[in-house]
Amino acid sequence: MAISGHCIRLCILSFILLSVALPAFPQTDDRIQQIEKKLQDLLAQAAQLRQELDALKGVTSPPAEDLMAIEIAPPPPEALTDVQTVVNPSTAASGRGLNPDIAVIGTMVSQAGQQNFVEPREPFEFEEAEIAFEAFIDPYAKGRFFISAGAHGVEVEEAYAQFLTLPYGLTAKAGKMKALFGKANTWHTHMRPWVDQPLMVSSFFGGEGLSDHGISVSKAIANPWNTFIEATGEVYSGNAEGVFEREVSNDLFYNAHLKLFRDIDESSNIEIGTSLARGTVAEEGSSRYAGVDVTYRWKPLSRSIYRSFAARFEGLANRREGADETLYGYYASADYQLARRWLAGVRLDGADRADHLSDRGLSATLTFRPSEFSQLRGQFRRTAYDSLETVNEFLIQLQFSIGAHGAHTF
Amino acid sequence: MKTIIAAIALAMALPHGVSAAPKLKVVTTTSDLASLAREVGGDRIEVTAIARGYQDPHFVEAKPSFLLLLRNADLLVAVGAELELGWLPALLDQSRNNRIRPGSSGYLDASQGVVILDKPTTAINRSMGDVHPSGNPHYWLDPANAVRIAIQIEQRLARLRPEDAPLFRKRLNDLKVRMNAADKRWTAALAPYRGAKIVTYHNSWPNFARRYGLDVVGYVEPKPGVPPSPSHTFELINMMKQQKVKVILMEPYFDHKTPQSIADRTGAKLLVIYPSVGGAKSGTDDYFQLFDTNVDNLVKALR
Repeated sequence: MAISGHCIRLCILSFILLSVALPAFPQTDDRIQQIEKKLQDLLAQAAQLRQELDALKGVTSPPAEDLMAIEIAPPPPEALTDVQTVVNPSTAASGRGLNPDIAVIGTMVSQAGQQNFVEPREPFEFEEAEIAFEAFIDPYAKGRFFISAGAHGVEVEEAYAQFLTLPYGLTAKAGKMKALFGKANTWHTHMRPWVDQPLMVSSFFGGEGLSDHGISVSKAIANPWNTFIEATGEVYSGNAEGVFEREVSNDLFYNAHLKLFRDIDESSNIEIGTSLARGTVAEEGSSRYAGVDVTYRWKPLSRSIYRSFAARFEGLANRREGADETLYGYYASADYQLARRWLAGVRLDGADRADHLSDRGLSATLTFRPSEFSQLRGQFRRTAYDSLETVNEFLIQLQFSIGAHGAHTF
Repeated sequence: MKTIIAAIALAMALPHGVSAAPKLKVVTTTSDLASLAREVGGDRIEVTAIARGYQDPHFVEAKPSFLLLLRNADLLVAVGAELELGWLPALLDQSRNNRIRPGSSGYLDASQGVVILDKPTTAINRSMGDVHPSGNPHYWLDPANAVRIAIQIEQRLARLRPEDAPLFRKRLNDLKVRMNAADKRWTAALAPYRGAKIVTYHNSWPNFARRYGLDVVGYVEPKPGVPPSPSHTFELINMMKQQKVKVILMEPYFDHKTPQSIADRTGAKLLVIYPSVGGAKSGTDDYFQLFDTNVDNLVKALR
């Protein structure tokens, strides 16, 4: 500050000298040159005085700065051999602190067309607000909570601790969660490629899918075939609404899943899964489910934000103790990404009901995704409830999310 | 007899003479980090990149096949600055590998030691598009930052494999010398175009532009990560005409229709520029080649 003060005073002094001196001389070239020379001398003397003054004060003058050369960021160093790393802590990490990632995902559905008496819907319905929390509990585990609030009330959709660092390559989950039976059953609303659940899931497991309180343990199995193989064993309390009802304390429900995943090439891959679940239905006896799921995906890497395709098939069989029939359910679907924000898909699905009744469905979807965080989807659905009734519906769904939602498993 | 003893002694000594330690398994999220890791680690490490150079690194699928890589990795090097936010955490959660978790010695977030630009100075939200809270993650496109990445990799490799530390140090110094020489070459090639106004598709080139004195005056995307809109495109065309912008830079994984139509209407050239090693079928096999090709193409376009 002292230095700049001196500079200003010296400049003012020079300016006054110049203004006083100028009218005193006639405007000839020689005189002007003389004045310029005197001015330069004065400036030189002023600079010398300033240096002496600074030396007396013990202040080192900064080098003269060319204001035109000032940049917001420092100029790059001359030699890369001298470059050093900088300390650059993540602002995101420091800002967020220890709070969990919190996201809220809203789903609104509108129904038009014929009234569906089996799955009635309002013309406009805010179906669900899914509130998701996720954070590390400690160095060993992550906690995940998914609370669903909607017309059905508020319920804990999933809430579990996921142990990531167990020995022998094991991972485990404990809490309330969706059973790892097939693929569609495990998806939250916003992950589905359709507005609704396929008949296979809604008929056998109900609108919320097969979920219960329990423990799940998974192990990746090393193999020489460059294939990802994962075996999962789960045990639940045996009270999955509409699927299993525990009668005595030993009536737990068990689920096993085997998943194989392999890249066909860098753009396409295939996943095959098998699932087996067994539990009890009160006053009826045991109930067993067997399922298979196959997913083929294609996404050309160099065009990955514009094009993709997925074909899916899932099938299940259910046998209840004392029943004279095995019930089957399935869906087959294909989804193609037409452009960066547009996807189109079709789905065929079917599910048996008791007493030799059978429902069949056909759907076509068109999805517009303005961004990763919102989407508008239309679905035409034609459902034949056995031979009793056929319903043609048009469903429009708006989904929107705020906050930080963790990446999904593939 | 002496020959036999000497032969036995030699046979016993051989396993000790030859480096017996297995190669360190290094997985990087991008091909650029892989190239720099190879420069430092040489044949003492085995490097695999998850994302390909011709793929948008923001949108990589968290495929289980990548878990096969991560499960056995000794070191994971990530770009950081939220570039891999959509896919790396999901892979790490399933990796079953405690060595490479954030906070472990086998996890290196390279963004922690480099110069990052475009750090938000105000609170950000998603109305601004895909703005990264930690700043622009495309920082590897400045050779000075490449050196900073290499220094961090060298330090980490030396910690994981102390017996090879002198070799890593030597290779790092060699890389610095070569990078310095190459940077002088690139700087000289682009020197006549210092101050040239350019437009880029995405805001991926601030570090590159700053180093070589290019002036990025606009983007084809109205906001980061948001596809081009008609109104923004018209504004951009008018601005480019006014400012006489000669070149539009576009990554190979974006659609060329809108930038090509902008180029046609403004007389600018649309140049496909490679943001990552392996971005083109040839000429981008390592970090040096990537810059040689990009600088060469850019000079031709700016001429």
